[in-house]
Formats: sequence, C-alpha cells, structure tokens
Amino acid sequence: MSSMSPRIAELIDALPVEPDEAVAPNAAFQGLLQELSHKQVPIGRLNRLWVLGTLQAKIAAAYFAWWLRGGYASADKRQRTLNETHLKAALKLLGGMSYLRGAIMKAGQIMATHPDVAPEQFADVLGHLHFEAPPMHFSLLREFVRSELGGDPEDVFDQFETRAFAAASLGQVHRARLKGTDQLVAIKVQYPNIGRTIRDDFRNLLALLTPMRLSGDWDNLKAQFEDIRHMLDLETDYEQEAENLRIARSAFTEDDGIVVPRVFPEVSTRRVLTMEYVGGLHLEKFLSTDPSQELRDQFGHKICVSVLRVQYSKKFVYADPQPGNYLFMPDGRLGFIDFGSCHFQSDEDIECLADAERAYLGSSPEAVRKTYVRGGDLTPKQAADDTRLKMYGQWADWAWEPVVHEGPFDFGDRDYFRRGASLYGELIRRRYMRSRPSNTWLIKCIYGLRAMLAHLKARVDLGAIFREENTVSHGQDA
Amino acid sequence: MRVTAEKKRETRRRIVEGARNLFNDKGFEQTTTRDIAEAAGIAAGTMFNYFPTKEALAMTIVDEALQEAGTEFEGRLRGDETLDEALFAHVAVGLRHLAPHRNYVGEVLETALSPFAREPVCEQAQEFRVSHLETVQELIASHGPPTIRTPSVMTMHLYWTLYLGVLSFWAADESPNREDTLVVLDESMRLFVGSLSPESENGREVTDVVDVTQNR
Ligand SMILES: Nc1ncnc2c1ncn2[C@@H]1O[C@H](COP(=O)(O)OP(=O)(O)OP(=O)(O)O)[C@@H](O)[C@H]1O
Repeated sequence: MSSMSPRIAELIDALPVEPDEAVAPNAAFQGLLQELSHKQVPIGRLNRLWVLGTLQAKIAAAYFAWWLRGGYASADKRQRTLNETHLKAALKLLGGMSYLRGAIMKAGQIMATHPDVAPEQFADVLGHLHFEAPPMHFSLLREFVRSELGGDPEDVFDQFETRAFAAASLGQVHRARLKGTDQLVAIKVQYPNIGRTIRDDFRNLLALLTPMRLSGDWDNLKAQFEDIRHMLDLETDYEQEAENLRIARSAFTEDDGIVVPRVFPEVSTRRVLTMEYVGGLHLEKFLSTDPSQELRDQFGHKICVSVLRVQYSKKFVYADPQPGNYLFMPDGRLGFIDFGSCHFQSDEDIECLADAERAYLGSSPEAVRKTYVRGGDLTPKQAADDTRLKMYGQWADWAWEPVVHEGPFDFGDRDYFRRGASLYGELIRRRYMRSRPSNTWLIKCIYGLRAMLAHLKARVDLGAIFREENTVSHGQDA
Repeated sequence: MRVTAEKKRETRRRIVEGARNLFNDKGFEQTTTRDIAEAAGIAAGTMFNYFPTKEALAMTIVDEALQEAGTEFEGRLRGDETLDEALFAHVAVGLRHLAPHRNYVGEVLETALSPFAREPVCEQAQEFRVSHLETVQELIASHGPPTIRTPSVMTMHLYWTLYLGVLSFWAADESPNREDTLVVLDESMRLFVGSLSPESENGREVTDVVDVTQNR
C-alpha cells in the first residue's frame, strides 16, 4: 500500500478539481477509502458479493468518485451535497454488481501500479465491460437448458460435456455433438436472469447519476452511456448475436481462411447459442508456441481483413477486436467468434466516415477540420478550441499511419503503440472523447485492432487491405 | 376380501384424481371436501375414511409427485457433484415434478408446512419433512466436507427455512420459465453449504466448473 500511495496521489493531483477541493486531494482520497471500507454489504439480492471489498476495487471506486466529482466541482454547495448523496448510493449499487467484480478490480490494479497510463486503460476496461457470471454446475445448467430447449442437454445433444471448457462473460461454454451427427458444437449458455439483472442495475445507476447535473461533457457522456446500455441489451440477446454471426459469416469465402462459426438455430434461443465448434488457440497460447514471423504476419493480415471486411461489406463496426474473440487454428485459418458487441452503422454514420476518409486522404486541412466538427458532434465553442482540434489531428495521424505507410507496417513497433496509448489517455484526461456514438465504437475498434496486432508483433500491409476492402470511400476516391 | 382392497384402491385413486382437478381449477382454499366427494362419486362421510383432512389429501398428491422426483434424482446422481450441486438437484427435480400443481401447491404447502405450526398439520406433511431432511442429511454425509458428517439441529433448521423460502418464491415466480427460482435456489444452496464449515465459505470456486485457462 505504502509504495503505491504516492503514485495514486499523483494521479489524483492530475485530476481536474476546483481550487478549494484541490488543497487536500490526498486526504480526501484517504477519507473516501476509509469510508468505503466501512460500508456495509448491501442487502439487495441474496448472497451478493460485495464487489468493492478489495483494495484494488476501492481504488477504482475512488477514481470513479473523483472523476465524477470533477464534473460537479463548480456546482453550488447545496447541489454538491445532493450529488455526494447520489454518489454514495451509486457506489453502493456498484458494490452490489458482482458480475463487474473482475472488471473493477482490474481497473483498480492498473491504476495502482501504473497511474501514469491509467486513465486510458481504465476507460478501456470499462469500455469492454467485461462481465463475470457466476459459474453454473451441471444440475443448474440442465434445468435451465431444459426450459430453454425443451429437453435435457444429454438428450438434446450427443456427448454433452458436463464441464464447461470456457467462460463467457454472461455464462459459460460447453462442448457437445449435434444429435446424430459428427458436428462438434460450442454451446454458450447464459446464467439465468443475468441479462435482466444487468439491465436493471444499469438503469438504476443512470437514474442515480442523472440528477447530479454534472458540468462539461455530461450530456454527451450520458448519450454514450445510453449507447452502452443499448449495447448491453444486444449482448444479452443471443438471438441477435446469432443473426450477427449469420451476416458476418456470409462476408467470407473459403479462400479468406477466416471462419465465423455457423449457428444452429433449431437448438438456440435468446439465452442458449449453439454454434459450430472452432478448434484453435487463443492469442497467448498461440504466442507460447513460438510462431514464426511469417505465421504471425499471416494471422495479422487475416485479423485486419476480418475487421475491415465486416465493416465495409456488412456495415458492422467490430468494436471488440480483442484476444478472446480470435482463435488461431492449427491449419492456419483464423476463427472469428464473438459477435455480441457489434455496432451497426447507419447510412449517415457511413457517409460521415467516408467523408472523413476522403478528406484525410485528399489532405485538405479545411475539409479535415470540418469532419472533426461533424464527427465529434462539437458545439461551436468546442469547434473553436485549437488544442482540441490539434489533438484530434494527432489521433487521426496515428490511426492512419499504418494505412498510408508504404508496404507492410510493423505493428510490433513499441514506439508506435505507445504514442497511440498516450494520445488516447490524453484525450480522455482532457475530456475530449465527445463524439458521435458510432465513433466511440470505431475508436474502440481502431485501438483494439492495433493493440492486438502489437501483441502479435505482426507486419501487415494495412494500406493494401484498406484499398481492397474499402469499397465505400476508396472506390470513389481512386 | 381381495375385491374390497382393490375397490378401496380404486376409490382412493378417484378421490385423488378428482381433488387434483378441483384444486387446479378452483384452488385449494376454494375447494371443499364435499366437492371432492361429489367428484369421486362417494358420500362426504366416506371420504374421511380415506383422508382425514383436505391437507392430508393435498399432501398425498404432493408426495406422489415428489416420489417420482426422488427416483429421477437418484438415477441422475453422478457422485462427483459438489454438495451444493447435489442439494440443488434434489430440490430442482422436485420443483419440476410439482410444476403441474403449481396453481395450488403454494397454498397447500403454506398450511401444511407452516413453520409456525406447533405440531404437524397432518401425517403426510410430517413424513414429507422427515424424508426430505433425511435425504439432505445423506447428501451432506456423502458429498459434504469431511468435518461435517452429522449436521446439528440448527444446521438442519437453517436448511429447512431456506427450502421453504425457495418453495414460496417458486410458487409466486413470474419470471420467464421461472428462471429466477433457479437463481434463488442456487444462491440458497450455496449460502447453506457456506454455513456448514469455514473452508467451504464461498461454496464452489470458479475453477471447479470452468477451466479458466482456456479463456483469456
Ligand atoms: N464457436 C466456438 N468454438 C470454439 N470456442 C468457442 C466458440 N465460441 C466461444 N468459444 C470459447 O468461449 C469463449 C467465450 O466465448 P465468447 O467470446 O463468444 O463469449 P462472450 O460472452 O462474448 O465473452 P466475452 O465477452 O468475454 O468475449 C471464447 O473465448 C472461446 O474460448
């Protein structure tokens, strides 16, 4: 604890606060920590875990509190007191959201050890909103599957494995064979009622935050929060995911070497998703086999194609290109599996993006500036803020760098990734993340894709893939 | 002599059938013993030779359903379950077999199994309680932590309280496919197992069920 305190203090010092509050941020932080540790377990649901029990989680919660306080530091005393009450209630609610335990702890851990890069990674963690449903033993699973599919899993499938082979965020994944066939399937089963619980909790959380009348970009943030809520709805609906899988699957041919699992709708429901089993390794395990550079480049290429293909041919922003969603198959094919969090672009989104791409590649500064104002959904005052526009420019340069680069780009270049990470962090620190909701997903996609490729240390000719896949703006531009 | 025994069985069956339909249509409270006797085509007085009270009759229906459940449960037991899973399965299978009677079974159980009753409401209810708790004790002995082979009276009381809580939740559960009951049951059984001994405080661990190394 003592070794991390000074760094946390620095982090807190860096947070935007009003002078009267800034006098003793550290003391206030300590106070909050103390208060949190004396909080009682909420009684809401039976046997809910108290999420904020660990030090890491408390740090994350304290950060959240500071961040919110920054938004109402200038409010009058009465409003501030009111806000404090809501804040306490919100923290209490957060404490009961046991399925967020891992996410919150991870955020706190990152902040405790690397406060300098914390904000962006923190946002990243929250952005992924990685849930953890409680594990189900087979007897619970059986009762649930029975009511969903009308029969015991052992009867509906052949060789149903009673132990899950993977955890999913809202449940777990079991392996079996389709009845009377050789087809291996992965069956993703949601923990009963978790979707409703999460939706209710988020509704309540928003209801607590809304009357706080936070200043600054709160309205925009709220819009994004609503968007996340909408996303949650989608993520808890496996029928929607099945539909996304079907669409995405149709975007690839055998030659692409990219496998989006087939869905078996007759044994799927909103809460049970049965798909073709894709045998392969996750990124970490794949890397531990010490793959050649050539192999890493080939997989890197496929990962880029996978994301750009669904974006330009199916209007999906694949917001979640992260290691859990790719499987490296022994025969060199790439398994592309999780379509729970896809954002469908509207025609306006597409047009907006295509404009930005054309402006950027056409290198007209005035046109580029206009796309920032439009894409960022900026108020006139914000649009006149040169620092803001300059930072958008830097971010765009960073994002485009691998595309405009001649030939294969080395994503393993640590300096490249670090520059992006610090830019991303700076944008969040300055609260410049305001933008059209669809951009939020796009930014996650751009950032997530580069993070994945950095990990893989792949060299990919992204420019060539972009020209090949982007039929929207590139076609007209070439 | 033989004919009488058979006839008796036949009458008994008619009473049970008639009662089941009436309970289902009108509810337990609204159904009178007279209604049941009428439906079975016997005199009201004769009814009492078979079932001394309406509760006894209803508990017989419940008991029959639960006996089938018990057979299914035993056939399904793999032996490698954790205790909370075994206890979960025991109750869950029972609820599934009671589902066709859910319309009225809540009312029946409320009366027959009332924790406030000074003495057993009827013989069947008492038998039901004893046999259910015996199974639980056996499961604790076979699946529980080595330190707790013979649970205390308090422990069994806690179990029974939780079980009645689950039953009452189930009887009124409006969620799709009554999935909320599964959650309440899961959490109740984990809570109970957690109370048995300090080592098993958190019930099972994630790793018991899911190979976490497979994923991220
Ligand atoms: N079709 C499949 N074939 C093989 N494994 C699969 C398949 N679908 C899922 N899995 C395994 O299950 C894990 C979780 O699946 P998935 O990513 O779809 O769940 P999720 O609920 O969206 O989880 P998260 O939000 O953490 O990504 C995967 O990382 C993978 O290991």
